[in-house]
Amino acid sequence: MGTVHAKEGPAGLAGENLTESFGSYAKDASHELPEKKVTEIDLEGVKARVDTIHIDGLERTKDDIVEDCIRELFKAKDFQDVLLKAHKARVKLDELGCFKNISVFIDTSKGSKATSDGLEVTFNVKEHRRITGGVSTHVGNNEGALLVGMRAPNMFGRGERVQVEYSHGSKKSSNFNIAFIKPFRGKHRPILTASVFQSHSEWATSGYKQLERGLLFDLGFHSTSLLKHNLQWEGNIRDFSVLGRTTSFEVRKESGLSLKSSLKHILSVDLRDELIFPSSGSFFQLTSEVAGLGGDVGFLKNDLFVQGNYSLKEDIVLQGCLSAGFLTRLSNDLRVSMADAYFLGGPLTLRGFRQRGVGPHSDGDALGARGYWAAGAHLFTPLPFRPGRGGFGDLFRTHGFVNVGNVGDFRIAKDGNLLDTLKHNLRVSYGLGVALRLGNMARLEVNYCFPYIFDKGDQTQPGIQFGIGVQFL
Amino acid sequence: MSLIEKISIELGAQEPWPKDVKLFQPYEVEQILLPDNANCLAVQAFLKMCHLDYTVEPKPNAEAMSPTLKVPFIKAGRFVIAEVEGIVQFINGKGITLTEKLDSEQKTDLRAFMSLLHNVMEIAELYVCWVDQETYNEITSFRHGSVYPWPLNHIQNRSKRNQVIKKLSAMNWYKKTLEDVFEEVDKCCEALSTRLGDGHYFFEDGPTELDALVFGHLFTILTTPLPKNDLAEIIRKYPMLIALVERIEKQYFKKETEH
Repeated sequence: MGTVHAKEGPAGLAGENLTESFGSYAKDASHELPEKKVTEIDLEGVKARVDTIHIDGLERTKDDIVEDCIRELFKAKDFQDVLLKAHKARVKLDELGCFKNISVFIDTSKGSKATSDGLEVTFNVKEHRRITGGVSTHVGNNEGALLVGMRAPNMFGRGERVQVEYSHGSKKSSNFNIAFIKPFRGKHRPILTASVFQSHSEWATSGYKQLERGLLFDLGFHSTSLLKHNLQWEGNIRDFSVLGRTTSFEVRKESGLSLKSSLKHILSVDLRDELIFPSSGSFFQLTSEVAGLGGDVGFLKNDLFVQGNYSLKEDIVLQGCLSAGFLTRLSNDLRVSMADAYFLGGPLTLRGFRQRGVGPHSDGDALGARGYWAAGAHLFTPLPFRPGRGGFGDLFRTHGFVNVGNVGDFRIAKDGNLLDTLKHNLRVSYGLGVALRLGNMARLEVNYCFPYIFDKGDQTQPGIQFGIGVQFL
Repeated sequence: MSLIEKISIELGAQEPWPKDVKLFQPYEVEQILLPDNANCLAVQAFLKMCHLDYTVEPKPNAEAMSPTLKVPFIKAGRFVIAEVEGIVQFINGKGITLTEKLDSEQKTDLRAFMSLLHNVMEIAELYVCWVDQETYNEITSFRHGSVYPWPLNHIQNRSKRNQVIKKLSAMNWYKKTLEDVFEEVDKCCEALSTRLGDGHYFFEDGPTELDALVFGHLFTILTTPLPKNDLAEIIRKYPMLIALVERIEKQYFKKETEH
């Protein structure tokens, strides 16, 4: 992954010499965008145009999709523009998922057709092999999992890929998934995914396990450069069964097969500067799901997740999160399974409570409810006295938090106040802890929690609580 | 039976018969199949013979809800117990029994005939429902699939059929022809009829779980219309068995309509 790297050069150099020196600098491949130092020599003032673009290393990738990625580069008018657009082109090429290595060289153009300000840009790419595979670990939902995967990238030369994945989690969940992914050309950057899956999950806190087998079609596209949409259809046969003899009869009643066919729309905007410990920016995700187009499961579900980050001082970040969901039954003929309901509690949502520990229970098994809302406020700071600053220590944050939430079958009475309904029987917890960034994909937390307000049926977990996952409240 | 189950039955024994006992079974009109119906009816007959109160709770997913994945099952207080044997044992544990006057030889007889019904009558019913093409196409596939939406009904019919065929193969029944099956049923009925003789019930002292099970199977076969009526015809050859079925029906099931 080499890129354009601009360093300061003696000011007042003639355009031609300057570009030459950039050409040679480009060879110490590094990952930075032109830094601010660049402006010292006012690259915008240096006129430039791209005469030719070479792509080296193309084997089975088709020309048209590569051309789409680099076309913009020809429109560059000055040297800074060339650098930025070359970087953008590189990102786009990378997004195609066809290449494992991309490096960029910029040189003055030579030859009979060369113009006076002319540049020659060369992309050196290395394509993925026909089949790649690997074993890795991944993290989600307070569970670690071992993942075995195989991919056939760029099958027909336009970024199409087939991937097969199997994962086995530490909490007895297992997943098998075959997906065909096809990116399309166009300004909305649509990507079509068709997959077949089988997944098994066990929920000890609710006393049931579920085996799902189904099909998923997903169309992802951007309506503006930041607004991302996913339109999905899912057809899913779900086999719900109890974990043992002691499981509550309320859960046992739900046993059996159901067929869910649902349409889902996910809208997301991610303006955060970083995924795990953002210091600024916000994230917004709205999910709507309608089930009942065929099958015997019917509901309308709306889910919201919002996260905002505000940097108070260098390295001290205030974070606020809100998530909420509401399920509406569509008809009495269509079922709503317990597996569709909302649960609250646990280290990823309402800390200080056991997993699914809030809300209606029967014989110790969480039953779920039609609606929930929960919010969290965090103050993130670096570790006290900053050990390992600039290195290992930067993976850690200390944080203080307050979590608030409620779960229940909220009914909006005609004369009632929605806010009163949501506030009734509120749960609050607070605490302190240390958070660790695992790669750029997950967060690990060890907290000392104090449940502050809770219902007598709730399962609290005061004291030390351990959480691992991607999306926290 | 696992230790936990045994303990749960032991513990359950110490409590009296609760008031809100429910018997869960599939929908009688549109869903239930011959072998399941026979077992559900047998349990009902047994409960009535013991003068125990219960209410029938039809559920489309009764089979999946059952702890052994077989119907019927009862919910008595905190306990969930499935199948004829399990339920009989659970009730015996409460000190309610229909076999206290039998000597050990008679008890052995009772057990032998119970298992004959399970291993011949029930298997024959399964064979007719799932292997005989005509019955499967005209009755079984519709009834079994009726509670699932398309295309789950076809998937479920197929998977259940494979399951039954596997069971029949293991018992060496799958290779039999329909005639062989009818012959087995005939033999079974003959044995039952000989044991019954002229008696009112299989044992002199009154009805037992064996009478309940025989009633369950024979009554269901006699009253269920099927494309092939041969099973009912075979039973009709044994008037003593028919008389037993009528006797039990009159004594334990007709009362409800009189109220």
